Amino acid sequence: MTVPQATSGTEVPVLAPYLHLAQLEGRYRGLLEAAPDAIVVVNQEGEIIILNLQAEKRFGYHRDELLGQKVTNIIPEGFAERLHADGLRSAEDALAQQIDSGIELYGRRKDGSLFPIEIMLSPLESADGILVTAAIRDISRRRHTEAHLLKMVEELRASNKELEQFAYIASHDLQEPLRMVTSYTQLLARRYKGKLGADADDFIAFAVDGATRMQRLIGDLLAYSTVGAKANDLQDTSSEEAFQRALTNLHGAIAESGALITSGPLPMVMADDGQLVQLFQNLVGNAIKYQSAGVPKVHVSAEMASPGRWIFSVADNGLGIETQYFERIFGMFQRLHKPEEFAGTGVGLAICKKIVERHGGTISVESELGKGSVFQFVLMCSTHSQ
Amino acid sequence: MNSAGGESSLVHILLVDDGPGDVRLTREAFREVMASAILHVAADGVEALAFVHQTGAHAKAPRPDLILLDLNLPKLDGTEVLANIKGDDRLKTIPVLILTTSGSEADISTCYGLHANCYLNKPVRLEAFETLVGSIVDFWLTKAKLPPVLR
Repeated sequence: MTVPQATSGTEVPVLAPYLHLAQLEGRYRGLLEAAPDAIVVVNQEGEIIILNLQAEKRFGYHRDELLGQKVTNIIPEGFAERLHADGLRSAEDALAQQIDSGIELYGRRKDGSLFPIEIMLSPLESADGILVTAAIRDISRRRHTEAHLLKMVEELRASNKELEQFAYIASHDLQEPLRMVTSYTQLLARRYKGKLGADADDFIAFAVDGATRMQRLIGDLLAYSTVGAKANDLQDTSSEEAFQRALTNLHGAIAESGALITSGPLPMVMADDGQLVQLFQNLVGNAIKYQSAGVPKVHVSAEMASPGRWIFSVADNGLGIETQYFERIFGMFQRLHKPEEFAGTGVGLAICKKIVERHGGTISVESELGKGSVFQFVLMCSTHSQ
Repeated sequence: MNSAGGESSLVHILLVDDGPGDVRLTREAFREVMASAILHVAADGVEALAFVHQTGAHAKAPRPDLILLDLNLPKLDGTEVLANIKGDDRLKTIPVLILTTSGSEADISTCYGLHANCYLNKPVRLEAFETLVGSIVDFWLTKAKLPPVLR
């Protein structure tokens, strides 16, 4: 017999001089019995020729009941087939194939019950021919934990989905009765202003104001929940086109403020195009809105952050934000200004965050009070541009 | 004005909506922009069909020049009413405008598939609703040329 060559970083353990089974067992008995895994050594005929104490325990047999028996008695499927297939190959092939690769199979106890196992095979050359050592680990607990985790993830996903649907339906259906309240208080205000006395005018004004604000809140809540509840699959999308559509939607605000909006080249990305439009619209809209006197200037650009990822920037010359609010502004209903300074419900950036996160990216802001802000978000490259 | 056979210059509009609040709002809005329009109301799908087919209590109902149809209706859904009207040779030339709060793409596709003349969302704000009614009057009852009634 020749000494096998080392192959691809692995070596057949050569027990030189080739030991006979009895010697081999004698020499390694201590190690074998101390192993935490069940270990069986099988010959090319698929007969068990050595096993340790753990193997006895795991499978519920006495040693004598297994020695010389077919390994299919304790591992009904997947193991013997492999031995046979490997028997047709060289030891090196068999080794390269099997070492370090755990195989998940089922073990069968003496009482017939099955349990999941992971086995690691390694060929072993001996004077009696190539033997295969199988280290067998009971993975019942791991399987159970995995199944449990999977179930929890599934439940979590379902409840999240349900919550999104709930928020969507609730905000949609709440709009209906609210539309009646606002419409009719507005009609009241219009038709009876100055006819019912000063108190009545005040009361009606408060009612109109409250109802109008609630309408805006619910409308924004609906927009927020729509991001999750009415999402489309991500696909190759031109961020340039999305940006241009956002500008079209912002036409009124841009014309009114006289804002100067510039942009660099914008790439193809993986996105839900409707949501990308909304993202640009909210960020550019904010950049125009949160301004002191003067001409709002907004610059939108993108650069490759790392292979496969683009960083988009929306930079403005607006009011700027204090460092302590950098996180908070992305929260739901978070505002930094009084309603009389700037109207709004504090949902725009929460929607941006939700959209970016749904796309697997992140969003952040860098800003200094009085010196403008730069909002940055990361999106994945389109599959075509890689 | 496109009214039937010249026998009358009155414009008849059939509003199919089950919400009294919506009906009144629509009435108020029409009063503002086209006080002469006669607004007939059917509160469910069955009544809407009785009106256009002139059956039962509606035997003497005029042929509407325009139908404003909500989708969520008791008894017979808006899409069923639409299908019935657009499947009737005598009635299918009447413009049917869907006027609903549903913005669902499925509803929009279904309605155009059934030959709705247009699909409109009820605006949430009062001013926007009034503007929309103004647009309807301006486009469908003023600018658009409608075919003479088949008798």
